[in-house]
Amino acid sequence: MDEWKPNPAVKPHKKRSWYLAWKYKLMNQRALRKLCQTGAVLFLLVTVIVNIKLILDTRRAAYEEEEESAQDYDDEMLNVEVPRHPVNNKKVLDVEVYSSRSKVYVAVDGTTVLEDEAREQGRGIHVIVLNQATGHVMAKRVFDTYSPHEDEAMVLFLNMVARGRILIFTIKDEGSFHLKETAKNVLKSLGSQVAPFLSWRDMWTFVGKKGGEVYGEKHAKSPALSTWGDPVLLKTEVHLTSVEDAECHWPDTELNRRRKRFCSKVEGYGSVCSCKDPTPIEFNPDPLKDNRVFDVPVAVIAGNRPNYLYRMLRSLLSAQGVNPQMITVFIDGYYEEPMDVVELFGLSGIQHTPISIKNARVSQHYKASLTATFNLFPDAKFAVVLEEDLDISVDFFRVNSFLSFLSQSIHLLEEDESLYCISAWNDQGYEHTAEDPSLLYRVETMPGLGWVLRKSLYKDELEPKWPTPEKLWDWDMWMRMPEQRKGRECIIPDISRSYHFGIVGLNMNGYFHEAYFKKHKFNTVPNVQLKNVESLRKDNYETEIHRLLGEAEVLDHSKNPCEDSFVPDTEGRVYVMFIRMEQEADFTTWTQLAKCLHIWDLDVRGNHKGLWRLFRKKNHFLVVGVPASPYSSKKPSSVTPVYMEPPAKEEGVAAVPAVAAAEQT
Amino acid sequence: MQKINRNVVLALLSLTSLVFLLFQLCYYKFYLSQKNGAAFSKIRGSQSGQDSTRWHVVRKFLGLISSHNIPVYLIDPLILGLVGKDIEQIRSSPDGPSPECKYFCAPRDFTTFALLDKTWKHEVGLFRTAEKMGFQWLKIINKDPRLDGMDDLSGVEIPLHYIFKLASHAIHLVVFYERSGNFLWHGPLRLKQHMDRKFVPFRKLHFGRYPGAYEKPELLLVSIDDLKVQIPKNPSSFVEEMSHARFLECRYREARAFFQLYPDDASLDAVEFRKKAKSLLHLAALTLNNLGVKFWLSSGTCLGWYRQCNVIPHSKDVDLGIFIRDYKADIIPAFQKAGLPLKHKFGKVEDSLELSFQGEDDVKLDIFFFYEEDDHIWNGGTQAKSGKKFKYLFPKFTLCWTEFVELKVHVPCETLQYVEANYGPEWKVPVKTWDWKSSPSNVQDNGIWPVDEWDDVIQIY
Repeated sequence: MDEWKPNPAVKPHKKRSWYLAWKYKLMNQRALRKLCQTGAVLFLLVTVIVNIKLILDTRRAAYEEEEESAQDYDDEMLNVEVPRHPVNNKKVLDVEVYSSRSKVYVAVDGTTVLEDEAREQGRGIHVIVLNQATGHVMAKRVFDTYSPHEDEAMVLFLNMVARGRILIFTIKDEGSFHLKETAKNVLKSLGSQVAPFLSWRDMWTFVGKKGGEVYGEKHAKSPALSTWGDPVLLKTEVHLTSVEDAECHWPDTELNRRRKRFCSKVEGYGSVCSCKDPTPIEFNPDPLKDNRVFDVPVAVIAGNRPNYLYRMLRSLLSAQGVNPQMITVFIDGYYEEPMDVVELFGLSGIQHTPISIKNARVSQHYKASLTATFNLFPDAKFAVVLEEDLDISVDFFRVNSFLSFLSQSIHLLEEDESLYCISAWNDQGYEHTAEDPSLLYRVETMPGLGWVLRKSLYKDELEPKWPTPEKLWDWDMWMRMPEQRKGRECIIPDISRSYHFGIVGLNMNGYFHEAYFKKHKFNTVPNVQLKNVESLRKDNYETEIHRLLGEAEVLDHSKNPCEDSFVPDTEGRVYVMFIRMEQEADFTTWTQLAKCLHIWDLDVRGNHKGLWRLFRKKNHFLVVGVPASPYSSKKPSSVTPVYMEPPAKEEGVAAVPAVAAAEQT
Repeated sequence: MQKINRNVVLALLSLTSLVFLLFQLCYYKFYLSQKNGAAFSKIRGSQSGQDSTRWHVVRKFLGLISSHNIPVYLIDPLILGLVGKDIEQIRSSPDGPSPECKYFCAPRDFTTFALLDKTWKHEVGLFRTAEKMGFQWLKIINKDPRLDGMDDLSGVEIPLHYIFKLASHAIHLVVFYERSGNFLWHGPLRLKQHMDRKFVPFRKLHFGRYPGAYEKPELLLVSIDDLKVQIPKNPSSFVEEMSHARFLECRYREARAFFQLYPDDASLDAVEFRKKAKSLLHLAALTLNNLGVKFWLSSGTCLGWYRQCNVIPHSKDVDLGIFIRDYKADIIPAFQKAGLPLKHKFGKVEDSLELSFQGEDDVKLDIFFFYEEDDHIWNGGTQAKSGKKFKYLFPKFTLCWTEFVELKVHVPCETLQYVEANYGPEWKVPVKTWDWKSSPSNVQDNGIWPVDEWDDVIQIY
């Protein structure tokens, strides 16, 4: 065929030769050739189709596998993770600081990090600490330097802040009245030109780096005593450093990683973040032999007082026999800093959405915390309940270990009703009224402030009846009510095993703390042997009391019981006095006595069947209410019980803790 | 021209075919490498190399956890199944060297271990060491269900599962938590959005499809295949327990919504009744568990669990269900011995059996016996004065564990169908007046007992 159809392109002859030769050969078997060709085409087509199908199949199979493997295991919730802080690579921060009589604010890069325009609040110097590498707020404080001693607190705080941090100061209302020389010098050393001359009602803002440059300062002098300086607005720029420069170079350990995370976020915790020789965050207190509270969960009730929490956890983790795994910190609210503190110590923390207000909020937080504790530790028969503003004695767990065992055996031996709680706190245990670290009492009141709660009591009685959120009751007052207590008693030590250091709080302020808590005795002796544990059983305790009253010398009732001379200058003796107490709830004389002895007098505490036990001049001092107390029979007929009249009306308000209203200048 | 075209077509087709072939090969290889050779081991069948890989991975893992003092125990159903057969022999020769790798070399994708949460401290160090040893690991965390029942607690997320992968084998570490009711709980395995869905073939895991509830096992330290490992003292019964360990969490969120609509009764009476009902339920559970009789929460008690995660304060009794095949004659004496006298007995074992025991202060314990048919399950009721019989029909159901008033108890897994059958679609609305003869939506008349049987089938004390 080909030769009579020459190619118009005229190809050279020889090029076609081998190909044509092959072709001619095949021409003879044309049918066969056609068949082969068609077969090949078909075969190839089929191969292609099969291949495509295979690919599709594999892909679908793979897809299904993926789908299937996941479908049972997919989290039904879409977890969109929002970073806590936007990533910021900017090297310069714009800082705005405002100071005036009624309002202060600080804005960093347009974000307001402080704004206070509340009336009658936030007076003094506001201090903000920023991380020099990230610009994050690490601490926010206000020192009311119009009032005494606040400047000392400020100096303490400023000294704790690490070098290189950025400090922002601004005054609201008045900040110079009690700003002493020392404090002014500290401010001067930070680079402030104005601080040494700050005076009455001046407005002042300052931004500087600790131990480094000053970014800006503005000041407005008060023209006259009765007026304030003009509002001051400082706008400045702060240059950020690199993260490496802002961090310490501790050895890379698990503990130091926790420390690093903490120290890059918050300030004001002193040597825990110091680069050289930081204070330890792991304590290895001596383990206890026969520790019966090793498996008892510890609930720490906390709010937003991270510095308190820090102090409290340090002392708790240093107590002998503590088991960090059993500790849970319950934070009332979604505050970051308390959580940071909890994480620093490697403990577990749970945040609780605040419910209700004031006392009811605290009481709801308590309920949630207690329920959660028993849910998390279903095996536990007891729980230790602590608050964030308590120091914990070294032998806290020793005492409780001992007593938990006791209460357990009491639980078995006696009827349930006998014991209500075990507390580390003696309401009447002041420096001048507590003496014996080995002595324990039974009392009818529930002291709280570090106590052991039995699960069955909580689950069966308290939890179902717990005050609802709309009831503005104090949970502890509620627990003290006869409907709840049902005549049961608590065991307390003579010398408290916890110390209440909190000055700021819902029902707390500096004056109240000074009057009722500061002089409380706190045990610091580690290995006290508790002596009268057997005698704490219900019946044994009665025998013990009768023995004590039997040996007690009756004091001279003609003297004034408030006078020091009422008790002879002896040591180690037992004395008894009788006061008038018409019926069980008549505490008229006792309250007056408590008041003049400078012990707790806001309500009745520490009584056992109309008997109070305390120490005076290192002598055991018993007070019996006659005739309500069953121990009245011990009164010699010649003795007339002391009666003390309540003062006239104006002091009647003492039943409510005096709340010092902030004085507006 | 035609010829040439044809040839071109031929060449093109061959080329395409070749390309496809190559592509297919590449794709196949790529796909397989993604599956981490799990499929390969199947294709290649069981080879000694693969077998010893498993053993080596297990050995390495045991070394890892013992270096961190973490007490784990073996719960792999496959291996425990094999071990269970030879348990006597293994117990008697705890230290003898084994001639062959019999257990840890058995073909499988995973080896499963359990870890009790409270026995370790969540150290990060473990994972660093694991990485150094060549393990890849995955941690699955989720909400803590022990705090889920509580208002507004931001429960910390807790680790539920860990998977350690080395070469072609993976270790599945299930974290067990203690729950109220004295039992162990493990969570479901749910992957979050960003997680690698192909880390291991998750579908083949033995634990994690559902949460599970287990008794606290007694452990035994044994040496199998020259590896020292803790196993449940009775491996076979553990495997048996595993087959029906599915756990249902109470619907806390819905319960909270319910209480928003219908505030809880906090009166003293309600508190008292709940306390009594709880202790009665505890006593009944103890008695029936001692007898080995399987029971579940039924009727009002089940509704209380499902709707409000608590005892309904106005329900006035506690209701339990038992399959008639589990009936034992000693149930009545056992309850009497426990201080619960028989109040009435209706029906007989063959038909409509129902027992009532008198608890403390008017709180009654009702036990209904359930009869299984091909397509439904029913229990019976009897009116004492007329001898009328009633029948309550339920769709078929299986049993799941749950936690209720600090007890581990059974409820029907298909709770919604069960509750709806009994209380109708309006079960969410509390009803204070309830007539057991007419109110239930699944009640049917079932004739009258013959009068001559009355003495037997209607016994009232």
